[in-house]
Amino acid sequence: MSNIPAIDRNSRWKTIRREVGRAVGALAIALLVTFIVVLLTSKAPLEAITQLLTAPASKPRTIGLWLDDVAKLTITGLAFSLVFQARQFAMGVQGQVYIGALAASYVALSPLGASWAGIPLGITAAMLAGAIYGFLPGIAKAKLGANEIVSSLMLNYIAIEVCNFLVRTSLPKPQPGVLTTNDFPDSAVFPQLIKFDGLNVTRLDLGLVFALIAVLVVWFALYRTSWGLKLRLVGHNARFAEYSGIKATFIMVSAMTASGALGGLLGSMFVQGQGYGKLTVLFEGGLAFEGILVAIVARSRPLAVPIVALFYGYLRQGAQLMNIRTDVPAEVIGVVTAIIILLVSSSFSLNFITRLFKRSPAPAAAPATVGGAAK
Amino acid sequence: MALLEAIGIGKTYPGGVVANDGVNLVIEPGEVHAVVGENGAGKSTLMKILFGIEQPNAGTLLLDNRQVHFSKPREAIDAGIGMVFQHFSLVPSFSVYENVVLGSEPRAGIRLDRQKAIAEVQALSDKFRLKVDPLPPVGSLPVGQQQRVEILKALYRNARILILDEPTAVLAPQEVQELFVAIRSLVAQGKTVIFIAHKLPEVLEISNSITVMRQGKTVGQVKTKEVTEKSLAAMMVGREVSLRVERKPTEQTERVASVSGLRIVNARGTEVVAGLDLNVYAGEIVGLVGVEGNGQAETLEAIAGLRQVAAGDIVVANQNANPLSVLQRRGLGLASIPEDRIAEGLSTGSTVAENLVATRLNDSRYVRGGLLDLKAIKANAQKLIERFSIRVGGPGSAVGTLSGGNMQKVVVARELSEQPKLLLVNQPTRGVDLGATQFIWRTITDARDKGAAVLLSSADLSELLALSDRLLVLYRGKIVAAFLNTPDLTPETLGTYMLGLSTQTADEMQAALK
Repeated sequence: MSNIPAIDRNSRWKTIRREVGRAVGALAIALLVTFIVVLLTSKAPLEAITQLLTAPASKPRTIGLWLDDVAKLTITGLAFSLVFQARQFAMGVQGQVYIGALAASYVALSPLGASWAGIPLGITAAMLAGAIYGFLPGIAKAKLGANEIVSSLMLNYIAIEVCNFLVRTSLPKPQPGVLTTNDFPDSAVFPQLIKFDGLNVTRLDLGLVFALIAVLVVWFALYRTSWGLKLRLVGHNARFAEYSGIKATFIMVSAMTASGALGGLLGSMFVQGQGYGKLTVLFEGGLAFEGILVAIVARSRPLAVPIVALFYGYLRQGAQLMNIRTDVPAEVIGVVTAIIILLVSSSFSLNFITRLFKRSPAPAAAPATVGGAAK
Repeated sequence: MALLEAIGIGKTYPGGVVANDGVNLVIEPGEVHAVVGENGAGKSTLMKILFGIEQPNAGTLLLDNRQVHFSKPREAIDAGIGMVFQHFSLVPSFSVYENVVLGSEPRAGIRLDRQKAIAEVQALSDKFRLKVDPLPPVGSLPVGQQQRVEILKALYRNARILILDEPTAVLAPQEVQELFVAIRSLVAQGKTVIFIAHKLPEVLEISNSITVMRQGKTVGQVKTKEVTEKSLAAMMVGREVSLRVERKPTEQTERVASVSGLRIVNARGTEVVAGLDLNVYAGEIVGLVGVEGNGQAETLEAIAGLRQVAAGDIVVANQNANPLSVLQRRGLGLASIPEDRIAEGLSTGSTVAENLVATRLNDSRYVRGGLLDLKAIKANAQKLIERFSIRVGGPGSAVGTLSGGNMQKVVVARELSEQPKLLLVNQPTRGVDLGATQFIWRTITDARDKGAAVLLSSADLSELLALSDRLLVLYRGKIVAAFLNTPDLTPETLGTYMLGLSTQTADEMQAALK
């Protein structure tokens, strides 16, 4: 009896090692693909690759950019993890970001924004708006059977266009024709975390703190509350959850709503962060969707999300700097990102490589092995 | 000389369910070969192996005396084997001829040669007396005709051997006769038909030889003209001496649950339970006997609150249970061991500890103020692992890593960790090894001895005879016979009622209905 917990811990370590190996494998393949693409497109490939690998860590400013990305990737990764754990494929984080940003902007540009309430109220409004926006596809699925993938994607378009429209028309802006609002008052912008010798360069702000808090909150909710256990049971086997007396639809809708709140928070982190401090059109630059990749590589584990975000954020920042500083075109970065997503999301597990090796020596046994692996 | 031969086929599914165990099958050319057995006997698995959907873990397949291996259906089709499933794979909005040629279309250049396709389908349908109009969309046709389209599909791909998986299950009696006409014409023109069924009169009418399967093994192969319905039924249900589990005498006077006038209509609109009345008393096990699909599973699900009831009343512990949720019913002392542990009884990706508290997430011992008491949950798991001797690394191991018997023990441990008032049990030992079976039987009878009312359904008659105090035989959603479990009650007697060959009168049932 006494050795049982040891075995338990052993198997947990094994799992962690396997998962880390998997993530490192994904990273290695991503780098390999990037190298090949860079070799094909750049006249000075060595320089480009050096930029990719070293640029983000080279200066305080770039480190700030990198960690700021990490904070944002962590939040969107958490938002996706939450719905993925409930086995809902809601893709609405992007829409929630825009709606959340809009809500935060209205608060920041109102008289309240100039008071001490600018930050807390902006965040609350953003999270609330995001939660409502996440609730919509959930309730539509529960009551009408609407597919959450389709409805959440459509809601994304609506959110983006509504945001565009309001920025163009009614929101106050410095001069007619520009696609940004007025700068938010300082009281509504997240303060910088670190100032280097008074140099006002790093973008790192309060958002990083929120990201770390969010990791703990989501982890706690998933693994320490009965709501989280129910959510995971629904995700693993909805029929079993129903049989156990768990209200699967309530769990599903609440998971999507909570995820929406995170999306909204990310919206406020964008517009109230040091990066913008105002609302502009298309401010989010596709980052919200990259949370899918983070969540998949992290296996929807909240504690793994920031670690994956750290690595992926580095690669992302490196790619952007490579784009700015070398002759590698921006489109290449898009291609590389897409390939990584493809590799990872095709239930990437390095299985196919082991399978190739297994198949050749004993062809007769191969089908049985494949069947076992595929189950 | 055999056309198709399967020797020593073994198939174990992940999760440890042994579906085939040393199965032998010999198909002669030009015959109609029926494979019979109860549900869960392994017929479908065997057919899936013949058609390349599943790969066997052991054994060999011989086609024309040459060893073959099908790793996917395409290879079986190329070898001349066609299969018609119970659930058709047709495109409803496509026309009949489009469905038939889909995937092997006749072409004129790069275009589909429609005229040729229509002509070919028409010719096939005339040749084999499978009357069907090639033009209307398949979705507009009755089920019997859709089935013909499926058969035409196989024939269009030059199938020599046609596997029909329970083809009569979906057909009305006249359609069955038309199907038989077609089967005879197929055989007359040199095709071989493998026919899966559990309706014995039909089997006797259409087949030349019969292979009987039980619990994943072949019981034997016989010529149809040498058997009768009775002898076949005996082979199917088995006549081995049933193990009887010792049971204490109990006072069976307190009625714990009653069902009256229960009607259940399934998603396809078929009435699966048609006016069922039964009572269960504390301290007794009532066995629901029947060929699977005669309403036992649905009845149990309805009592557990997992299935909508079309009409009728369910009373549990003197309370009308109809408006109650699953959790409220469990609160009345209901526990249930579901039919399929992996699909319904467990979350295989979660840990043993989580599975063991899944039904108690409103219990203040494990959840307070919405927070999990991990210590209590772990202690509960450790206690149950020990008490039910579940072989597992620890409370934190994923259930999916356990063997079938141990998975079932997790389900049983969760449901019987506290003495239930009413216990619903469906297939408690399917795919479970003998040791675990004995243990689970013991656990269920212990619950009974301590005063639980138990409603048990099983495809295994020896299990029902070993455990039950009373037996109710269901046929097409109705009780057709009721027995007190006495030592002289045999599987053969039950078999005649299970297959609908005879029905007891109300007076005969009275004694055992209570």
